Amino acid sequence: MRTWKTLFLAAAAVALLTGGPVAAEKIRIGSPYATTTLDPMRSANAGSIETFGQLYSRLLRIDETGALAPGLAESWDVTEGGKVITLKLRDAKFSNGDPITADDVTFSLVRIRDTPDSAYPAPMQQLDTAEAVDAKTVKLTLKHPFAPFLGNLEVFNVGIVSKKDVEARGDKAFTENVVTSGPYMVEKWVPNDRLILAPNPNYWRTGYPKNDGAELIEIGDSNTRVSMMLSGELDAAREIPWSQVAEIQSNENISMPMEPSTVIYTVLMNQAKAPFDNMKFRQAAAMALDTTAISKAVTFGNAAPANSTLPNALKFYDPNLKANGFDLAAAKAAVAESGYDGREISIMIADQPEAQQQAVLMQALWSQIGIKSKIEKTDAGTFWSRLTGGDYDVTPTWWYNETTDPDLAVRWAVCGTCGNKAYYTSYDNPKVDALVEAGAAELDEAKRGQIYAEIQQITTTEVANIPLYYPPFANAYSKTLKGLGMTPALQWTLESTERVK
Amino acid sequence: MNLTDFIGRRLLQTLPVLFGISVVSFLLIMLIPGDPVRLILGPRATEDAVAALRHDWGLDRPILVQYFSYVGDILRGDLGDSMKFRVPVLDLILQYLPRTLFLVTYVLVLTLPATVLMAIVAARNEGRWPDHLIRFLSVLGMTIPVFWLAVLFARFFGIRLGWFPVSGYGDGFVDHLHHLFLPAVSTSLWLAPLLTRNLRAALIEQMEADYVAASRAKGLPERYIFRRHILANSILPTLNLLGVMIAFMIGGSVVVEVVYAVPGLGALMIASVLGRDYFVIQGLTLVYALATVVITLLIDLLTNLIDPRTAE
Repeated sequence: MRTWKTLFLAAAAVALLTGGPVAAEKIRIGSPYATTTLDPMRSANAGSIETFGQLYSRLLRIDETGALAPGLAESWDVTEGGKVITLKLRDAKFSNGDPITADDVTFSLVRIRDTPDSAYPAPMQQLDTAEAVDAKTVKLTLKHPFAPFLGNLEVFNVGIVSKKDVEARGDKAFTENVVTSGPYMVEKWVPNDRLILAPNPNYWRTGYPKNDGAELIEIGDSNTRVSMMLSGELDAAREIPWSQVAEIQSNENISMPMEPSTVIYTVLMNQAKAPFDNMKFRQAAAMALDTTAISKAVTFGNAAPANSTLPNALKFYDPNLKANGFDLAAAKAAVAESGYDGREISIMIADQPEAQQQAVLMQALWSQIGIKSKIEKTDAGTFWSRLTGGDYDVTPTWWYNETTDPDLAVRWAVCGTCGNKAYYTSYDNPKVDALVEAGAAELDEAKRGQIYAEIQQITTTEVANIPLYYPPFANAYSKTLKGLGMTPALQWTLESTERVK
Repeated sequence: MNLTDFIGRRLLQTLPVLFGISVVSFLLIMLIPGDPVRLILGPRATEDAVAALRHDWGLDRPILVQYFSYVGDILRGDLGDSMKFRVPVLDLILQYLPRTLFLVTYVLVLTLPATVLMAIVAARNEGRWPDHLIRFLSVLGMTIPVFWLAVLFARFFGIRLGWFPVSGYGDGFVDHLHHLFLPAVSTSLWLAPLLTRNLRAALIEQMEADYVAASRAKGLPERYIFRRHILANSILPTLNLLGVMIAFMIGGSVVVEVVYAVPGLGALMIASVLGRDYFVIQGLTLVYALATVVITLLIDLLTNLIDPRTAE
């Protein structure tokens, strides 16, 4: 025992002397969201979305101003009234040195669309054929003219992977010696802990990435993220709890720019059964929710109250829309008119602090107009099974849109015929469904604007869901970094990040 | 007694235990709601995609069929692949096992000397102030929630004073000691009181035993009696408690793992349960069961060594 003690004391002394956080070369980013796979086709979870952009280049990219810019495609032509897109690829290589060819591109796009268990085929649904004209030219033919398609070539899961490697190794191609086309390669992946990235020497953007790589660390506990930010063990952190934003902001080494996001918190109602199948009742429920007070209470005033079923960072979002705003008297009248039988409704929530606060406030506000409710807490597994299976009454949750174009957003949140029953609410208005298709096919911007304004007007008035608020990204950044941020599409601008001393 | 016989018999006895545990945990995890495939593909996946992957992985087969195909794999030495990460379960477990063992050993190194010292001081001064102080601290240590203490430690020793990192595992032995100091102390602070109280009570009981009076009457020196008889006899119940606690810590150190961001087996278990990652849960359950068996066996052997009567 004595030798152990001596050994320990000696070790502790050495540790103290050499201690203090060592200046790491890698940029350390902490996120509560786990990277579960390195295959861009395999997941549409937040953590994996954050990762895919670092590993795989897409045909187009979003530049610093938010506009579509050339990615692996150097240039492109849209012909035949928007039905055919011909892209010229630049000379680029995969991380293993193989050239990136038109075959890799067509393989990657069709793989997303056609693999039965592809996690999110929606961005490629309008693609009819993808043809490699020659090694550097790709011709994409759409099923019909489709305005948002160029933007969909930038979505998180349409990164270009190596056809040769994936065909040869299957799933293994994404767990060992991963071949990448983006700014980084996988140095080491420790599932459930961290992903260590090293610069890809063959990345097509010369001079990028401007750093020696990064560690994407999964830290589920928000207090720990804050501690690690304060102690300098992280260079950036996702989702600082709203209650600790002020403390972090007062630290002179950390900045919190509150970047705009396409995240929207909203209340989903199961409209396949009573009482939420009744529009009058939904309107009553919406008018009873004081979204200004809720966003203030939950986010300490950092989020803007929502007025539309669409996120406010999207193109064609209508800031002037007013429908079913907070009005207790009108809500009481509506609930009486709806013939609500006084049954208790269940507010289902996943195990997240923000959802719990929302649920408590909803319960209190609804009780003012006589709606009885109870709160039912579930874990994520149960939550998603019950939501997708239609086994719930009402739930506050969030979603985000991966492009700033509203097409994928309306298909996700309000379209009844787009595959997910309007975010599993069973809301279905044939007129809205038709407008969704019209908005996608329309190439004139002004007319598209009118179409999406009408969609927002109808769905907010009919209460497809109850939008609560639009939060910014509560990300914290060390001031020793220059150029790190998060785009509205959940992508870190890691490749342009430099460390300043 | 033949030692190899003893060990062999004990290991043989564990087979039905392992089998039983695997059946129960398999059924439990299969019967709770929640679909691993939905969690893996994410909310945006269509029902068709979910169904396709369920079929690919054979999750649409009857539970019993799934169980027997799993057992078949185990018998061939294959723990299966993680559904979530698509890497072998064994690799995942081996990746985290060293960290967890390191942490547990660290905790023991911090805890045991302090425990023995405090228990002896308290027992020898029964009813006087050192005893009261130690008992008060024990109650405090057992009642303060670990997650809360861990956050306070991180904020104070990690950020205010800057003495220790608040997260991570570090590189190399010394760095491990440095990084895991706060997690180990946080764990020690609930473990030490538990053991101290146990050992103190045993010591006091033994100090009043007849054979002690007899030894004194024979004129044996007090120090000799204490070390040779009282301590040896008192340590046995605490040793058994320690065995249970070590087994518990291998799987149950999840709180400090999460708060100090040093994911080990505990954090892996939580993530697998939340993600319904069936084969990882199964693999971990088997590892825990095996660890418990091995630790109990070691403790029994130690007990034998201290008190040969227990071998009968």
